[in-house]
Amino acid sequence: MSRQKLASLGLVALVALATGFVVADQLRTQLLTPSNQVARYQALVRSVQELESTNAESRRQIAELRAAIDALEADAAGRSSTTQSLRREVAELRARAGLIAMHGPGVEVVLRNGVAGPGPTTSGSHLVNFQDVQDVVNLLFTYGAEGIAVNGRRLTPLTAFSGSEGQIVIDQGTPLSSPITVAAVGDRNRMMDALGDPSALPDVRAREVQFQLQLRVAGSPDVTLPAYDSSLQIPNVKPA
Amino acid sequence: MSSRRSGQARRAPARVRGVSLWLIALLVALVATIQIRSQAEVERSLVGVDVTSLAFLIDDLHRANESLDAEKSDLSRRRLALSSGQSGAADQELTDEISRLKLLEGLVPVRGPGVVMLIDASGLTALDLQDALNNLGAGGAEALEVNGRRVVTGLPVAEESDGVAIDGVIVVPPWQITAIGDATRLADVADLMTQQLRADRRVRSATYRMETDAAIRSVVSEKPFVYAIPS
Repeated sequence: MSRQKLASLGLVALVALATGFVVADQLRTQLLTPSNQVARYQALVRSVQELESTNAESRRQIAELRAAIDALEADAAGRSSTTQSLRREVAELRARAGLIAMHGPGVEVVLRNGVAGPGPTTSGSHLVNFQDVQDVVNLLFTYGAEGIAVNGRRLTPLTAFSGSEGQIVIDQGTPLSSPITVAAVGDRNRMMDALGDPSALPDVRAREVQFQLQLRVAGSPDVTLPAYDSSLQIPNVKPA
Repeated sequence: MSSRRSGQARRAPARVRGVSLWLIALLVALVATIQIRSQAEVERSLVGVDVTSLAFLIDDLHRANESLDAEKSDLSRRRLALSSGQSGAADQELTDEISRLKLLEGLVPVRGPGVVMLIDASGLTALDLQDALNNLGAGGAEALEVNGRRVVTGLPVAEESDGVAIDGVIVVPPWQITAIGDATRLADVADLMTQQLRADRRVRSATYRMETDAAIRSVVSEKPFVYAIPS
């Protein structure tokens, strides 16, 4: 083999090697980044799942503790008329605070996600968000609801709604997403009339047309609401 | 013979070239498949929730679980006190519970650290006030008042012909909203809210101040249940 041929073969090998390094580096950059993203995302998802599991367990324990306290109070009330009177007062306050399950005539409102529209400007508008739930709840309270639960989460005088796209967080609960059922006990006719008013819930109505967001309403002679199972701590409030 | 040999010599590189081409095509297909699958995996796992939202969710869940832990501790202490069977223990626990529930239900005047917001605007609606109150509630408000009207969740905040009404009473702007709770958290929320409100053309001014001891003297009037039956 001539020296010239050897030199050209060596050059080709060098170029091939350099190309190989460049391609390998490029591939590593392009492939490892997504796989790291996935790993990071999966770690975050695992954290959320663990926290949600702890959350559910804590709420179960709180419900058990409240039931145990109620039984002990009932026992004590059986031995003293003073305790009995105090217990009656507490029972009324607890019912108002959502700490006791209730039932009665009412309505059930179901909200479901619609269909995504074209373009990024409408992103998320087809999803049921916390403001929708907040608006339905406010409407129901304005028109005669005496107690409300959202997907089985009882509302209290301290309830607040938050969340991001398509996720609804109520108090210390885990995030909820579509379908969302708002169950209310109270003046069924007034609530049904209010929900049937086309001028009520303007944002939801507009998205019903634009994104096929769904709002279904049904009256019922007997709606049952569970007791609140989370925290009602008010560490900063003192009597004036 | 020589022409056959030269023909074989020409066919051999051609075969090598063919195999090389197949190998390159296979490699390209492999790399493309890996790349596309990696991207698809990321996209599939990111459907609906982005990483930032997940981080916020984790933060919220941590705070929620801490609050649940505090409630569990408090309930465990109460159960223990009741289980002791000591004379007067149940009465004391029930009396404390009555006081606490009256505070959170807005039945008695309260005080504590917090923020006072002042919003001067024209054309704000009941939805605007509901949003403001909900934001403060989500930010940790434990008691709220607007223009001397106590507000708790469940009390109607509605649009009426004369303006926004809380439980049937019109609250004329400017709105002074007092929120009692963790003052630092509430100040963060109030800061964000006032920034957003100032960008609203209906709003003339939106300010807030932190208070170490804010007072809410108004109370909610108790309404008996008409339809609901506690079980």
